[in-house]
Amino acid sequence: MDKKFLKELCLIDGTSGDEDKVRGYIISKIKDFCEYNVDPLGNIIAEKKGAGRAKNKVMVSAHMDEVGMIVTSVKADGTLTLSAVGGIDPRVAIGRPVAVGDSGICGVIGSKAVHNMTDEEKKTAPKFTTIYADIGAADKEEAEKYVQPGDRVYFKSEFGITEDGFVSGKAIDDRFGCAAMIEMIRSELPYDCTFTFVVQEEVGLRGSRTAAFAVDPDFAIVLESTTAADIPLAEGEKRCCELGKGAVVSYMDRSTIYDKELYRLSKETASENGINWQTKTMVAGGNDSGAIHISKGGVRTIAISAPCRYLHSPVCAARFSDLEDCEKLAKAMLEKMCQL
Amino acid sequence: MDLNKTIMSLCLAKGVSGDESEAAELALSMLKEYTDDCCIKNGNVIGHFGVKGKKPHVLIDAHIDQIGLVVTHITEDGFLKISNCGGIDRRILAAQQVVVMGNVPVNGVICSVPPHLETDESKVPEMADICIDVGMSKEQAEKVISLGDKIVFAPHCEKLLGDRISGTSLDDRCGVAAVLRAMDIVKDKALQCEVTVLFSTQEEVGERGAKIAAFDIDPDIALAVDVSFALTSDDSELKCGKMGKGCMIGFSPVLDRGLSEQFREIAVGKELPYQTEVMSGTTGTNADRFSVNRGGAKAVTLSIPLKYMHTPAEVISVSDVENTARLIAAYLEEVK
Repeated sequence: MDKKFLKELCLIDGTSGDEDKVRGYIISKIKDFCEYNVDPLGNIIAEKKGAGRAKNKVMVSAHMDEVGMIVTSVKADGTLTLSAVGGIDPRVAIGRPVAVGDSGICGVIGSKAVHNMTDEEKKTAPKFTTIYADIGAADKEEAEKYVQPGDRVYFKSEFGITEDGFVSGKAIDDRFGCAAMIEMIRSELPYDCTFTFVVQEEVGLRGSRTAAFAVDPDFAIVLESTTAADIPLAEGEKRCCELGKGAVVSYMDRSTIYDKELYRLSKETASENGINWQTKTMVAGGNDSGAIHISKGGVRTIAISAPCRYLHSPVCAARFSDLEDCEKLAKAMLEKMCQL
Repeated sequence: MDLNKTIMSLCLAKGVSGDESEAAELALSMLKEYTDDCCIKNGNVIGHFGVKGKKPHVLIDAHIDQIGLVVTHITEDGFLKISNCGGIDRRILAAQQVVVMGNVPVNGVICSVPPHLETDESKVPEMADICIDVGMSKEQAEKVISLGDKIVFAPHCEKLLGDRISGTSLDDRCGVAAVLRAMDIVKDKALQCEVTVLFSTQEEVGERGAKIAAFDIDPDIALAVDVSFALTSDDSELKCGKMGKGCMIGFSPVLDRGLSEQFREIAVGKELPYQTEVMSGTTGTNADRFSVNRGGAKAVTLSIPLKYMHTPAEVISVSDVENTARLIAAYLEEVK
């Protein structure tokens, strides 16, 4: 996987329904390596020619959108009320810089000074109904020159990869999946297959639904990021999965019971190819598989996920080796699924 | 001087209470523009102006430290356990980017509880449960991080609309900038008394740098230039000033009423915007130390209104910094 592509993808702002910049970036990287079209919702459907024809039609999918916020109104004092786009814990939203709207106006989500809080307030987490963004406007009139309700609000954070391969930044969920698919499209593949870069995963697996309908595949591989809780706050099975232990393949989550044969095949394939493989120790979360596996008459689906800490926060953390394991396993599984 | 640039570069320098050297060295280099007679003593930046020995001796102070965290333990998995250094709002910590001031700066992120483990999103974590992920094993971490190393929120500063600036340590780097700007305004004027500028350490943990510096300096009059609360919709008008409406001149039983009045008269005379900040006891600033230093000094607080204090997203209006500087400069030209 190209670290530069990964970094650039993660730093682009693109929450659900506002994926234009991500889409433009991806198209610029794949257009010389495949045929593609963009469907009415904004999904990229890319047909990649391989060395040979596949027995089965396989679709590989990752989502372009990230969680974020949306401006719901402009208050008299020029601050902006907000709602979450996708699942965001309001506790990770306060006390940090944000970018507002298409032009990325600088703002902050502040919080009343701790000095002025009552003891009860100090112990009470914020809610989206009480927090607001401040772009420095003196009043409503000034703010409305720059911002309208419906504008998106993005966390601003630094993206970094250490020499040791520790990756941190926003939107690793699921720009990592996009980066892996770009890499696959730009490489030589043994068989023809279809790649879908989909919209609106974070608001209910909506882009993948229309993409799967249009592609009508026999099999699907979803490339995702999943919650790793290998932190001091969690022990045993509550850790779910761990950084550095390889690609995560689930047997079941809240959206899908995965194809049993494919689940077993993924483990064998990983072992054959020396790829680190792990599964989750909890039934938790969900991804585009939930929409894809019940598309039309059904699609045999597997999700290959990168373990990621602090998912849906302004700073996720992952291991580059896990991202590479996911890409390798996806490639190996794609080859097998084409001919199953 | 370019006031915006001064504020922003001061804001990006790291300087948690007890480990202020990076910010202090920068402030010293800026102060050198106006006096050769300056140094760092016991961490405090001290610069001399005016006529040595001539009364009254005026001290102008802004604190150089910022709030942060301190490493207390490295777990078997390489996570850092922490304690607070100054008044931290625990509610804002989850998923913040930080820099550990180790042998080399180390980037980290404050752990947040993933949603699948969280049964109650209204809970605020206890300091004992908070830890920092630096992406290292214990062995790797111990090579670059020691217990006692300070941690800052990832330094960040940028312009908002109008003349507003947001940043991580505007409390009290904007005060430092106001003092520098005041010295810039009076640089070609002949001052009629002795003036000492102090950028003091450890304000956030109990005004300790100010205490030792004041003993050495022994001023007759002390101006504590700090920040105070600017009104936001979730706060009370009774406790807050207004952003963009000028310097907040302090009135309090522990401050010198005559000095407070003098600043108000200067503001009116020079047509500088100002606000009064009335406190009923101690001020929570270095002025509390100055007034009872040695045999006592007349003290006043001059505060720049600031929103979201002690979060990494503090906001100020540059006009308030400029107007505070002008008020200080006008006082210096007048005092004899």
